[in-house]
Amino acid sequence: MKSLVLLILLLPLAAALLTQLIAPRFRQTSVRISIVGSVATFIVAAALLTLALRGEPTRVIQFGANWGELLFDPLGSLMAFVVSGISLIVHVYSVRYMRDEPGYPRFFVLLDLMTAALLLMVIAGDLITLLIAWHLIGVLLYFLLGHDASSHAAHRYASWTLLTYRFGDLPLVIAAVLLYQAFDTWSLQAIFAQLTQAPDKLTLFELPLAETVAALVALSAFARSAQFLLHTWLPYSMSGPTPVSALMHAGIVNAGGFLINRFAPLFVNTDGVLHWVFIVGLVTAVIGSVLMLAQNDIKKALGYSTMGQMGFMIMECGVGAFSLAIYHLIAHGLFKGTLFLGAGGVIGEARQDDGVPKDDLYTFVVEREPAKRRQPWLPMAIMTLVVPVTILVLAHWLVAQDFFQKQGAIVLLFFGWVTGAQLIFSTYRMRTQNIWRLMGLILFSFTIVVLGYAMISHAFDLFLYPDPVFRTSIDAAAGIDIIWFDALVILMALVVVLGWLITYAAEQHRQYWGAKLGAIWRSFYTLVAREFFVIDAYARLSDGLLSIARRLNVLLRWS
Amino acid sequence: MSSLDMSSFGYILAAIFLPLFPASMLFNWLFFRIGNVWLRSGLLLVWPQLGLWLLAAVTEEPPVGLIYWGVLTAGLYAFRACALRDFRLWTAHMATSSWALLWLAAAVNEGGYEVNLQAAAFSAPFVLLAWFIFRIESSFGAAYAGAVGGLALTVPRLAGVLVMTVLAAVATPLFPGFFVLLQTITQALMVVPGAAVMVLGVWLLWAWAGTRILQGLVFGPASSEPGADLAGVTTGLLGSVLLVLVIAGIAFAEGLA
Repeated sequence: MKSLVLLILLLPLAAALLTQLIAPRFRQTSVRISIVGSVATFIVAAALLTLALRGEPTRVIQFGANWGELLFDPLGSLMAFVVSGISLIVHVYSVRYMRDEPGYPRFFVLLDLMTAALLLMVIAGDLITLLIAWHLIGVLLYFLLGHDASSHAAHRYASWTLLTYRFGDLPLVIAAVLLYQAFDTWSLQAIFAQLTQAPDKLTLFELPLAETVAALVALSAFARSAQFLLHTWLPYSMSGPTPVSALMHAGIVNAGGFLINRFAPLFVNTDGVLHWVFIVGLVTAVIGSVLMLAQNDIKKALGYSTMGQMGFMIMECGVGAFSLAIYHLIAHGLFKGTLFLGAGGVIGEARQDDGVPKDDLYTFVVEREPAKRRQPWLPMAIMTLVVPVTILVLAHWLVAQDFFQKQGAIVLLFFGWVTGAQLIFSTYRMRTQNIWRLMGLILFSFTIVVLGYAMISHAFDLFLYPDPVFRTSIDAAAGIDIIWFDALVILMALVVVLGWLITYAAEQHRQYWGAKLGAIWRSFYTLVAREFFVIDAYARLSDGLLSIARRLNVLLRWS
Repeated sequence: MSSLDMSSFGYILAAIFLPLFPASMLFNWLFFRIGNVWLRSGLLLVWPQLGLWLLAAVTEEPPVGLIYWGVLTAGLYAFRACALRDFRLWTAHMATSSWALLWLAAAVNEGGYEVNLQAAAFSAPFVLLAWFIFRIESSFGAAYAGAVGGLALTVPRLAGVLVMTVLAAVATPLFPGFFVLLQTITQALMVVPGAAVMVLGVWLLWAWAGTRILQGLVFGPASSEPGADLAGVTTGLLGSVLLVLVIAGIAFAEGLA
C-alpha cells in the first residue's frame, strides 16, 4: 500500500525528469517515456481505487517529521484515478496534436509535473503538502497556458489565471495556519479528530474556528473553481493549447469541489457557511449559463459552460450533497474533456458534413413539417409541471426512502424539475406533428438520466462517506430551520409554476409580449454580451494600479 | 547617550540595512549604480545580515509600529516593482521588499540564527538574478523588458534558468522563500494578525511583479538578435544551485512550527 501511494507520485515525476533529460537527443523517444509514465500512473491509480472499493481502511503514510503525509482514503483514491485517467487521455491526444509545436518535449514535461501536482493535492495528508500542491498547480498551469512562448496574449491570460489562483491560495494559507495554531499539528487526520472533540473552539478575535476556517477554505475553492467575480480567467484562458484547455476544464478547475470534500469533517461543524457556499454557487451557475448562451465563439461558450457547471458543483456542496459534487465533477470532466478534445475535429468535419445520420430520428427531429396547430397551452403547461416532478420523486424514492427528509435533495429536485420542464416545453415550441412521439423520446431519456444520476450519486455517497452519522451531520450543517425551509419550498414551487404558466402564455401570444418586453430584453442582452462589465472593471483596476505604481516610481526617482 | 537615544539610533541604522522607507532608497540607489557583478552579489548577501546584526544589538523589542512600517515598505516596493521594466531596478525593489519583511520575522522569531538563515534564503535568488542581469546586459546591452524580449526563443537555456530563479524570488514552493513566508505568517498570525495578513498581500504583489517581468523579458516575440545561450556546464551549475535552494526549502519546512 505504502509503495503504491508513493509510486503514484514518483512515476509522473520520474517521467518528467527522464523526458527532460532525453529530449535534447531523442525528441520522439522522450515523449514516449512520458506516455509510458502516464499509463503506469493510471494502472497504479486503478490498483489504489480497487483497494479502496474492497474496503481497505484509510491510512496515513508519513514521510517527514512535521509534514510529508500522504493519505490513502476513498476520496483520494477516486480522485487519483480520475486525474490519472484524464491526464493519460490528454497525453495520448497531445502526441499528434502538439507534434509540430516548438517545445514539444517541454509540453510533456509540464503535463507530467502537473499530473504529479494534482495527484499530490488529492492524496495530501497534511496542510503543508496540500499548500505546496495547491500553489504548484497554479504555477504549472501558468506555464502550460503560456506554452506558446512567442504569444503575448497567451501569457497575459496565463498571468491573470496565476494571479487569480494566487488570490485563492492566500485564504488557504490563513486557514492552514489557524488550524495549526489551534491543534498544534499540520496533519489533516489529527486536526479533524481533534476538531470533532472540540467543535466549538475559538480562534483569532474570538471567532469560531470551524466557521472561520471553513469560510476561508470555501473562498479558496471559489477562486479555483471560477465562481462569480473570480471567474474571469476561465473563459479567457483558451489561448493555451487545446489539450491544456481539456485538462483544465476536465480536471484542474474541479479542485474547488475536491477541496470542500477534503475538508468535509470541518464543514459538518459549521453553521451557516454552507448556505453562503450555496448562494455563491447558485449565482455562478445562473450567470455562467446566461453568459454561455450569449457567446458566439465555441471555445468561449464552453468556458462559460464550465463556469455554470462549477457553480452547480459548488451549489451541491452548499446543500450538503458533497459526494454528488464529486460525481458531478467527474461527469463534467469527462464530457467537457471530450468536447474540448473533439472541438477542432468536429468543426473541421462539420464543414464537409454535419455528421448527423439521416435516419428516421433525424427526419423526425430536424426535417420535420411544422404542425399547423399547436396543442392547447394550458394542458401542456400542466403536463410540463407535473410529469418531471413525478419522475424525479419516484426515481429518488426508489434509491432512498428517506429522501424527503433531506433538504439538500429537495433543493436539487427543484433544479431537476426546471430542467425537465424545459425539455417538455421544447416539444411545445418545436411544433411537431407527432408531439407524443417526441415527448415519449424526451421523457424516456429524462427518466434514464434521472435514474442513473440518483443511483450513481447514492453509490458515491456510500463509498465516500460510509458512516451514516457523518452523512446525517453533513445534511444538518447544510440545513435551515424547517419552517423557513417549508416556506421557501412553497414560494419556489409557486414561482416555478407561475413562471411556466407565464412562459406558455407568452409563447401563445408572442407578438403582445414581444412588444412589451423587447426593449428590456435588448438592454439585458447588451449587459450579458459585455459580460456584466466585470472584465472591463478588472482591466480598469489593473491599469489604474499600474499607472499609480509608475507615478510613484517617477516621484521617488526609482529608488 | 541615554538608552532610548541608543535604541533609536540603532533602529535608524537598522532601517537602512533592513530597509524601511525612506531609508530603503539608499540600497536601491547603490545597487543601481554598482556595475560590478561580484560587488552587487556581495551587497545582496551582506546587506540584510548587517541589518539583523544591528537589530540584535538593540536589546529592546522593536516597536509594533516599526514592524507594520516594515510590512508596508515591503508592500510599497512590491507594488512599485509591478510597473518596473528595468531588470536591475526590479531586482533591487524585490530584494528591498523581501528584506523589509524581516522586521516581522525577527520580532516573532524565538532568537538564534533562524532569522539570519531566512534573510539568506531571501537573498540567494537575488544573487543569482544579479548574475543574470550582468549576463543579459553583456549580451544584449541592457536588461530592459520590452527592449530585450522573447528570451525563451533566442536563448532558451538562459530563459529556463532565469524563469526558475524568478519563481524562487517570488516565494514559489519548494523554494525557501515560500517556507520563510509560511513560517513568518505562522508565527505572526496570532501575535500581530494585521501584519501577517498584509504579508499575504505582499505575496500576491510579488506574483504580479514576477509575471510582468517574465512577460516582458522571457515571453513574446524575440525583439533582439539572438545572443549566446548558456553553455551546458553553466546551465547545470545554475540548475544545481537552484536544486540546493529547493533542498534548503525542504529543510526549512521541517522546522515549520
